Amino acid sequence: MIIDLNAALGPYPFRRLTRTSADEVVALMDRSGIDRAVVSALPALLYRDVQRANADLRASVAAHANRLVPVGTINPAYAGWERDLDELVRGWRWRAVALAPGHHDYRLGDERGRAALARIAALGVPVVLTQRYEDRRQRHAWDRAEDLQLAEVLVAAREFPSLRMILVNWAAVDGARLAAAGLRGRCLIDFARLQVLFRKEVPRLIETLGAEAVAFGSHLPFDYVAPALVKLDSVARFHPAHLEGIAGRNAARFLGLG
Amino acid sequence: MHFNRRNFLATTAAGVGVAWAARRLPAAEARTTSPGGLPAGWRTLRKIDAHNHLFTPLHRPDADWSEAENLLEAADALGIDQLLCSRPVVGGALADIALVREMNDTILAAMKRYPRRIRGYCFVQPGNGRAALDEIERCCDAGMVGVKLYNQFKYDDPLVCPIAERCIRRGILLLGHSGFLTDPRALATQPKISHAGDFGALSRRYPELSLILGHVNGGGDWEWTLRTLRDFPNVHVDTSGSVMEDDTVGDCVRMLGVERVLFATDATVEGGVGKVLAAELTEAQRDAIFHGNLQRLLDRRRA
Repeated sequence: MIIDLNAALGPYPFRRLTRTSADEVVALMDRSGIDRAVVSALPALLYRDVQRANADLRASVAAHANRLVPVGTINPAYAGWERDLDELVRGWRWRAVALAPGHHDYRLGDERGRAALARIAALGVPVVLTQRYEDRRQRHAWDRAEDLQLAEVLVAAREFPSLRMILVNWAAVDGARLAAAGLRGRCLIDFARLQVLFRKEVPRLIETLGAEAVAFGSHLPFDYVAPALVKLDSVARFHPAHLEGIAGRNAARFLGLG
Repeated sequence: MHFNRRNFLATTAAGVGVAWAARRLPAAEARTTSPGGLPAGWRTLRKIDAHNHLFTPLHRPDADWSEAENLLEAADALGIDQLLCSRPVVGGALADIALVREMNDTILAAMKRYPRRIRGYCFVQPGNGRAALDEIERCCDAGMVGVKLYNQFKYDDPLVCPIAERCIRRGILLLGHSGFLTDPRALATQPKISHAGDFGALSRRYPELSLILGHVNGGGDWEWTLRTLRDFPNVHVDTSGSVMEDDTVGDCVRMLGVERVLFATDATVEGGVGKVLAAELTEAQRDAIFHGNLQRLLDRRRA
């Protein structure tokens, strides 16, 4: 079973994505041998009222409930976000909540970010923190979002010791620093921007955080899926004991998927 | 030395992958695909990596070879036959020619140790003048197959002309670091980085030059790059870079023609292979990108 931890639905304003709808993404998953994908709504990055994007995502995944696992996005800098969060977790029973401080113009460590993290932790669901959607070196003139910094994540991890974290689309993530911040056993990291071979970032994460901390991720539909499949093949060849976990079992366990 | 952990694991793990595929895929699909939907036989497709690096000093007696060993371990696992490597001076500074020679000595040492796997680009800086040309001669006489330029000079700078002319005379490649950086802070770190228009200007002046725009996915605006290169038919692109965006390789083929597209990883090894596998290509197109196009350019080399 393969679960893609790093996926999204919907259009993106600065580049035409080849696949934006749930049907198109599921068709790609079928061709790629991916059983399930954890998806957030790209319009939530830019809508003022992000709950409308979450509602659209809910409608989109309804026909693919056994394939697409929705992640809601909240904006703690906008009116009524607490009600949105409660609706996502208690009403819709969604299993994780994303924050996008770079797009919503706040910091994880400021009053709004800390309030959101505290409430997510209290609800007992993991927070999804994406380092970046696109490389900054090709940014559109209207794209002002900065990459999320690991230092901010570490501060949050220490301040909220019960909060579980899903780190998506991170590069050069230092597992030892995450472990020192108390994240061993309560974080899950996808390998879309990490290497199994050559730089051996995935094996180092396994050493420092445990194999249960690593998950398959492709960053579809921004990125090709095959690079992630090649990495999974590298896991199968060089770390076969961790194959099933990284392919899907770790994500299923972390998110409580049946 | 060559019966090592790398070869052992590569041999045994192949069986693991096959067994896993048989569990995961329906029988009919398992016959035509390997784990996770990759094209059948992808590992055995011949591949030459047109753009890679070794940054550890390897010419010293106490050299640490782990970087090279890890790179070759990855190449073995991914079916990459040969890697064309350089060691440029990075950071934008104009270095003394003695340091430039030391950079190239690293690659020469790797070529000597792995003669069937590592081939070399000679890194030079146009600002070193006559000494840069002498360095090209030294490196080519020792077997290097191309010149690597970094970001110390824009490629439309007349100082680059003698380098280009020497490459033509020797029949060798000219691979250039590139990027159309839209982020001002990124551009400030390498103000003289060349973009597709700069490559185009050089190719207009020297249409017979085997000119390669490095890492189309190296972080700059690759859509701008491809649109610009449509007007410069003598510039090739390599597919490397850490950005994996769908459908870069397909757009390269559609906008430039498959014969101008060269497989490369620039150290993003799994992703570099994966993006070529992902693109919707015919077998002939994939072969051309993985090795045929580059081999055709390498065959131009004169003794």
